Amino acid sequence: MSQETRDMLHEAALRIFADKPQDLWVVLQESGFDKALLPENKGGAGVSWADACGLLSLAGEHAAAVPLAEALFGHWLLGHAGVEGASMPTIASSMHSEQIRVGISRDGKRVDGTLRRVPWGGTCTHVAFIVGSGTAAQLIVLARDAAGISITSGRNLAGEPRDTLVLEGVVPQAVVPAPFDARELLCLSAILRSALMAGAIERSLALAVEYANLRVQFGRPIGKFQAVQQNIAFLATQAAAARAAAEAGSEAIDEWLDGVGEPLSQSIAAASAKIRTGEAAGQACAIAHQVFGAIGFTEEHELHHFTKRLWSWRDECGNEAFWSRELGERILADASGQSLWRTVVPVATSARDAEAGAAQ
Amino acid sequence: MNHLSFPRPQPSEIGERLRAEVREFIDGWQGNRHGAAAFSGFDPEFSKALGERGWIGMGFPKCYGGGGYGLAERLVVLEELLAVRAPVFAHAVAERQSGPLLLRFGNEQQREKTLPRIAAGTCYFCIGLSEPDSGSDLASVRTRATKVDGGWRVNGAKIWTSSAHRTHYMILLCRTAPASEVRQAGLSQFLVDMKTPGVTCRPIVNIAGDDDFNEVHFQDVFLSDDALIGVEGQGWQQVTSELTFERSGPDRFMSHMGAVEEFVTALKQQPSADGARTVGRMVAHLSTLRRMSRSIADMITEEQDAALHAALLKDLGTCFEQEIPETLRLVLPTEPEPGASDGYSAALANVILHAPSCTIRGGTKEVLRGMVAKSLGLR
Repeated sequence: MSQETRDMLHEAALRIFADKPQDLWVVLQESGFDKALLPENKGGAGVSWADACGLLSLAGEHAAAVPLAEALFGHWLLGHAGVEGASMPTIASSMHSEQIRVGISRDGKRVDGTLRRVPWGGTCTHVAFIVGSGTAAQLIVLARDAAGISITSGRNLAGEPRDTLVLEGVVPQAVVPAPFDARELLCLSAILRSALMAGAIERSLALAVEYANLRVQFGRPIGKFQAVQQNIAFLATQAAAARAAAEAGSEAIDEWLDGVGEPLSQSIAAASAKIRTGEAAGQACAIAHQVFGAIGFTEEHELHHFTKRLWSWRDECGNEAFWSRELGERILADASGQSLWRTVVPVATSARDAEAGAAQ
Repeated sequence: MNHLSFPRPQPSEIGERLRAEVREFIDGWQGNRHGAAAFSGFDPEFSKALGERGWIGMGFPKCYGGGGYGLAERLVVLEELLAVRAPVFAHAVAERQSGPLLLRFGNEQQREKTLPRIAAGTCYFCIGLSEPDSGSDLASVRTRATKVDGGWRVNGAKIWTSSAHRTHYMILLCRTAPASEVRQAGLSQFLVDMKTPGVTCRPIVNIAGDDDFNEVHFQDVFLSDDALIGVEGQGWQQVTSELTFERSGPDRFMSHMGAVEEFVTALKQQPSADGARTVGRMVAHLSTLRRMSRSIADMITEEQDAALHAALLKDLGTCFEQEIPETLRLVLPTEPEPGASDGYSAALANVILHAPSCTIRGGTKEVLRGMVAKSLGLR
């Protein structure tokens, strides 16, 4: 995709989000943003994962109450499974998918178990998930209205649906060898969350700056006070780090799927995305709320649309502690006796490795 | 996207080839190894060996002894050296900022006199910025160069000047015109040979016991006209571009890697979930900082103004390195002791004692945050 097309797509998405239409999700679907990851011959735009993450950052920046991350990824997985005509797929990247069992019944395959806190699980048309690890991993697609699915509604702090689906003898719409395993699905989902978060953090920074210049106390805008300036500048450092980490993660997905980068499960950039954005999110929310004082603590004010999402998203798809431990254990398992530095910064042996190295 | 976003860094195939070469060189180095020190050692022999391999002044044009490399390749060499606490301190300042400054603003004579020797690892620099009454408020410097026949007469004092007693030159910032409404106006930079009559150094010992700091006095020091760097009165603008180099490199987030390595070695003997989490988090921070640093190198290469990006990165990087001892000590408790036979205890002692300087040297975090706040539209 050319830079020009990429910019046009970005501009188009920005216009839609900024317009805040009542039926935002319908408008996004009509414009094809939910299918952007699909190749053009399958009705998509053939964007890269990094481009898709750029769109998600925009969604985060506008606190868009839409399942864009899930639909982008869902359509991509359904495309892989050969399921067509789905209008709103979601994904279940639960950290507990090992509880899912795929068996055989008289009617063919049947799926049992529980999919916890599935984004828009109650309103989607299809749910895609992966069970198993390594080459045994299977990609499963269920129609949400299939017999044997019972749904318990749930919500995250921002009110986004996180529904639990109990599956009893559900006949799946597709079961195919998965393109990657359940842990990589989780990692990929975590990077998509990181992209959303980077956008929401940037917006919380922009809102804080705007308000600090408007709000007058002691006869001058509070942004004139060094104590406030210092906090907001710190928030800016967190926003920049979050953006850099999220972008590095998104590039790691493309390099992996294009076969030029390391597996996502081995990528430092992939694990770092959620660690770094998650940490930045907590700092950003605390500072933004402090700048806004009491008005930011009200339902009426828009700040909570961003901070509640950040407080939710940082704990979804594995929080900082989860990915830090995952990454740390992987690094500590290195038995070559070489230093930490050389474990995390291997000598690239080809141009492709250099590319992956630069993306870290 | 905002004006403080960091563009995606470009991969450098040449840089990655260099990485292997640098590692091979380091592994074969028979000279003094500085061990657990948080700051690299001062070792002219090592500097010279690096110079012979073309790893100093890598970005200088070949006519000045440089290798014609880009900044991305320079970063690879620098981070590999910092990762093993190689003794790079002798040439570090010249390599990082004084050389690039002279390349950009210096006259031909200054360049010919210094750059080939900097690249050879035999010519070292110190920076004359802070004064007893001018720290964060740098525009208030009072060291004064007065125009005299054929040159300038300098009087005043600089302080916290690292390695002043064993470097060959100082890049001196001083007043050449009285302070006016615009406080940053009337400042100029000079290339000062440290052997010039009237220049004297007095050592200052820091809390870690190092005596690398100095107070440098200038008493009726005569500098010839050709000692002026760049344009008279443009000192502030020139310093700002120099500080972009000073603030954006891996030396702003890798100072404490020695302690991290000792921690990891000790942790492998007594693994814990807490320890794994700590390592994972530090690596996530480190890899993000590396990416941002390389992004700034690309911006400098493309001649974009990266002064704010560098300020932001230095704040992030130094807060990260400053926090390292605070994190490690709680995960693997020990009683820190300088020079202890236990490598972890010694390294921890070292970084605890050096950590306060991270967020002071090269611009305090408060000053940096002030710059960032201003750029965001506050003030």
